[in-house]
Amino acid sequence: MTKKDLSITFLGVKFPNPFCLSASPVGNCYDMCAKAYDVGWGGVVFKTIGFFIADEVSPRFDKIGKESTPFIGFKNMEQIAEHPLEDNLRDIKRLKKNYPHQVLIASIMGANEKEWEDLARLASEAGADMLELNFSCPQMTSHAMGSDVGSNPELCKKYCAAVRRGSKLPFMAKMTPNITDMVPVAKACLEGGADGIAAINTVKSICSLDLEKHIGMPIVDGKSSISGYSGKAVKPIALRFIQQMRQAIPNVEISGIGGIENWVDAAEFILLGAKTLQVTTGIMEYGYRIVEDMKNGLQHYMEDQHVDHLEDLVGLANKNIIPAEELDRDYKVYPNIDLNKCIGCGRCVISCYDGAHQAMEWDKDTRKPKCNHDKCVGCLLCGHVCPVGAISKGEIEFKKGRQGKRKKEDIIL
Amino acid sequence: MDNCKYVRPFEEAFSLKTVNEEADRCLLCLDAPCSKDCPAGTDPAKFIRSVRFLNYEGAAETIRSNNPLGAICARVCPTERYCQKGCSRSGIDHPIDIGKIQQFVTDYEAAKGMVILEKGKPNGKKVAIVGAGPAGLTAAAVLLQKGFAVELYESHKEAGGYLRYGIPEYRLPNAIVDSEIKRIEDLGAIFHFGVTVDQKKIDELKLHFDAVCLALGASKGKMLPLFAGAKNVITAVDFLAKTKMAKGDIQIPDNVLVIGGGDVAMDTVTTLKLLGVKEVTDVVYETFAEFKASKKELQGAQKLGVSILDGYVPTKVEGNTVYFKHRTKESELSVKADLIILAVGQCTELGNISEITLTKGEAKGQGKVFVAGDIAPGEKTVVYAVRSGKLAANDIAMYLEGK
Repeated sequence: MTKKDLSITFLGVKFPNPFCLSASPVGNCYDMCAKAYDVGWGGVVFKTIGFFIADEVSPRFDKIGKESTPFIGFKNMEQIAEHPLEDNLRDIKRLKKNYPHQVLIASIMGANEKEWEDLARLASEAGADMLELNFSCPQMTSHAMGSDVGSNPELCKKYCAAVRRGSKLPFMAKMTPNITDMVPVAKACLEGGADGIAAINTVKSICSLDLEKHIGMPIVDGKSSISGYSGKAVKPIALRFIQQMRQAIPNVEISGIGGIENWVDAAEFILLGAKTLQVTTGIMEYGYRIVEDMKNGLQHYMEDQHVDHLEDLVGLANKNIIPAEELDRDYKVYPNIDLNKCIGCGRCVISCYDGAHQAMEWDKDTRKPKCNHDKCVGCLLCGHVCPVGAISKGEIEFKKGRQGKRKKEDIIL
Repeated sequence: MDNCKYVRPFEEAFSLKTVNEEADRCLLCLDAPCSKDCPAGTDPAKFIRSVRFLNYEGAAETIRSNNPLGAICARVCPTERYCQKGCSRSGIDHPIDIGKIQQFVTDYEAAKGMVILEKGKPNGKKVAIVGAGPAGLTAAAVLLQKGFAVELYESHKEAGGYLRYGIPEYRLPNAIVDSEIKRIEDLGAIFHFGVTVDQKKIDELKLHFDAVCLALGASKGKMLPLFAGAKNVITAVDFLAKTKMAKGDIQIPDNVLVIGGGDVAMDTVTTLKLLGVKEVTDVVYETFAEFKASKKELQGAQKLGVSILDGYVPTKVEGNTVYFKHRTKESELSVKADLIILAVGQCTELGNISEITLTKGEAKGQGKVFVAGDIAPGEKTVVYAVRSGKLAANDIAMYLEGK
């Protein structure tokens, strides 16, 4: 049994483990958050509270699948809390009283400086450990709030300053990915007084259409709207934004969000610099219980990595993401085909011909592939499509005249 | 007898979810072995790929345009011997269930009311087909699409042959047989029922038609001379027909002995069990290693609790006790049963039809007469009947149109 310590300190607050509910439908009331704590989540970001009370549509979700995986991406039209502000503050107070050792973060959203300042004060008084500023909900019915704010650095900075006036608590600003470069917004937030960054909120999307009715999904009396996309499909986008911020703002503390549903996802966010992790879509599909395997799996990963503190893994991969122009382009790697594993489906041949460089040849009699090195460029598409993992990275070859003094064995594959 | 299990499908069909999951298991091979192994020329790789990419209607077109009895083959074909045999997926776990995917697609086709086959432009030529079993029906469908006028002569009261009168309801409901025949009727086929065809009739047909196709099945169950005098003996073919016509509502004693180990024997023992017969004993000439029946049918029978004894030959019949001897081991066996069913093969009733010449067990027509079905060369399965029907139809078209 692994006993690795998953605790981590983020913005000066100690979390028993890095896994938190993100501000969303999964942390909408006392009972939900209490259950999440009971199951083992390290923290909860309570669903965004504000003076604005959301008036929601029905239905409000959509999903996109691929083949028999039903939930690759998820679309959500919910805004912020539907309950009155007083009820939410009461729930926050009660949660903190009954779960003093787990972290409670209040997500807030105002429409002007005064509202931000007031909400910061109210949430602090209710007992929250930390604040998260929602600058990023992409489906607000008011343009004074949400991702319209989050794409405007000046406004973000001003609102951060307002929050700082209203509260002494550490706080993070939650970023919208509906922007080309997140760095100027993150920097503005930090200048305005934010202690850290949460990223990413959902991506503006249209998930699918009803082909008979010619309407986007979900259909609300014959119409639909663009709204936030989340789940596994957005993970690569989240990781990219986190990396860019970690690169541009050294040691910035980040709470990572975007398609996390297992320990591997979690480890990837941590390696790229996230200290805590927030989850919604995975919970909406599978329930709070997914934290059990995320925690245990991450503990085993710590064992494999020989680290005792989760902190030691944070940001280890940042230095290994470099600009494309700096990558070594002097060699290629040929596929190594394990013919004992190969089941002769020929998918590598199809993909190599139609999607790469026609290097994979097919023996019709034995139904086995063979790589023609004269044509192979070493893209390794074949390895990605092989259904049995029979193709791995094999022999290295330097491009003509470009080996210099380097040895093949020094190349890290 | 309680017929409810007999009239219900033995195996649950795929739903939209499970068919997609099964299609996702498919590796979408480069030179798919499944598409090279169907006697009827089905291209499973193509229709499974269509399912994978949500094009169920395209999948139905692929199946139907190749095989006018696609919904039937989907249910009855021993796919493990054909398309599924070389499935690459076996390298990981087990083959794709191609028959069940085909069943889903043809059910989808029916639910959508798709009409895929189209009647050809009339070419003024007429073909008579003798026998409205799977071979005759297939030949008719192919010829009608080519513009020939087709009339079918069938000795039974309805079309379908072994599909209607042989294969049990739980595997092939007659509603499916009806709807498949309806498609061929809609192409313009004219049926004449209750017509027994002899040489005289063939001569008459030759006068009125440009070509005649004899699509005869092996519809008569074989009797063993040993059982000639025994009481309570019937052939499996007769038993299956009687049961299917009565929709399983028949009286059967509680202790039945079946002799034979082919697919017909498996249909028989499974039918008996589904009808609630307590003691079903099947004695088989072949040992399990040599078994003829499809594994799927054998396993189905075993699951239902049929006692199967392999490697025995009957030696003597006394009253309703049958004595057996093992073919290789020192072992004797006697089974007393209230009903004995012989599933030891079928033969054709050619009667005085001299039109067909038999060489090395293969039938061949003469002049404007063509042959299809069980009397034609090849295995005696539905899919082979479809194959021979297609081949005969193409030969007839070649003969009449010179192309």
